[in-house]
Amino acid sequence: MKGPNASASTKPFKRAFLKNLLLSLQDCSRATPFDAMSLHDRKRAVKSSADVAMAAARGGGARWPKAILPHASAATTACNKAQSCRRIVRRCFCHKGRGARRRVVVAATGSDVARRLVKRRTTALRKVIPGGDAMDELSLLREAMDYVVHLRAQVDVLRRVSEAVQKRSCDCDSLRDASPYLVQSGEELVEHDFVLFFESSVRKL
Amino acid sequence: MSSRRSSRGSAAISEEEINELISKLQSLLPSARGRRGGSGSQAASTTKLLKETCSYIKSLHREVDDLSDRLSDLMAGMDHNSPGAEIIRSLLR
Repeated sequence: MKGPNASASTKPFKRAFLKNLLLSLQDCSRATPFDAMSLHDRKRAVKSSADVAMAAARGGGARWPKAILPHASAATTACNKAQSCRRIVRRCFCHKGRGARRRVVVAATGSDVARRLVKRRTTALRKVIPGGDAMDELSLLREAMDYVVHLRAQVDVLRRVSEAVQKRSCDCDSLRDASPYLVQSGEELVEHDFVLFFESSVRKL
Repeated sequence: MSSRRSSRGSAAISEEEINELISKLQSLLPSARGRRGGSGSQAASTTKLLKETCSYIKSLHREVDDLSDRLSDLMAGMDHNSPGAEIIRSLLR
């Protein structure tokens, strides 16, 4: 999955996302243990955690995280981010539905590109990008690129986490026997390293 | 086509900048991977590109949803004697 910008530069994001995710899940479970939750609540908790973790990990370099985290300042330290993360997950968890994707309704500014990217063409795109309604068409394009890159990273981390946990839940030996993940996009997080990283992240929390 | 300055006085966006953004976006999409090193032509119209971006984002959202569901099932359904429980227990401490 090579992209022009940045398979390499999403690594720090992935680590931050993983850490935020674990913190958020930990926090949710303190309120109610996971196996005591209803199916619906559990799924909602995990999804909120993933969304918030992603936005917090992205920080201030784009606009879409702010639409997901309206109450958090983007310029906080990693520690504060984790704390804001927890607070926000609690808030999101308390509110109904996937509040993280709430749309901001603000009039879009006009711009030179309007004649190439007329409003009606971008309507559908605005709906899927957090905060898309408030952007001019040019920003929308830039945000779309940024958002896609980070969504892919989010998918990658979630997949690895699920598989790491699942593999551990099976026979322990299978970890040794299983062939390592193919290195993707030049990144070095092969399965074994990932599990070690995952466990050490958990220990550091 | 001349590029008119916007009445708001913001910097005029050139056609090249738009084209560059569009081709960058295009290269991110799954359909671009099959034609790497290809003509580089912007044969895809802007509309098609936007539509494709939209559906790609939606499919990524679905993937995130599926993986979150899977993860939430794993977290709830752990066997207390399995090694997997150790990870989860330390996670949930």
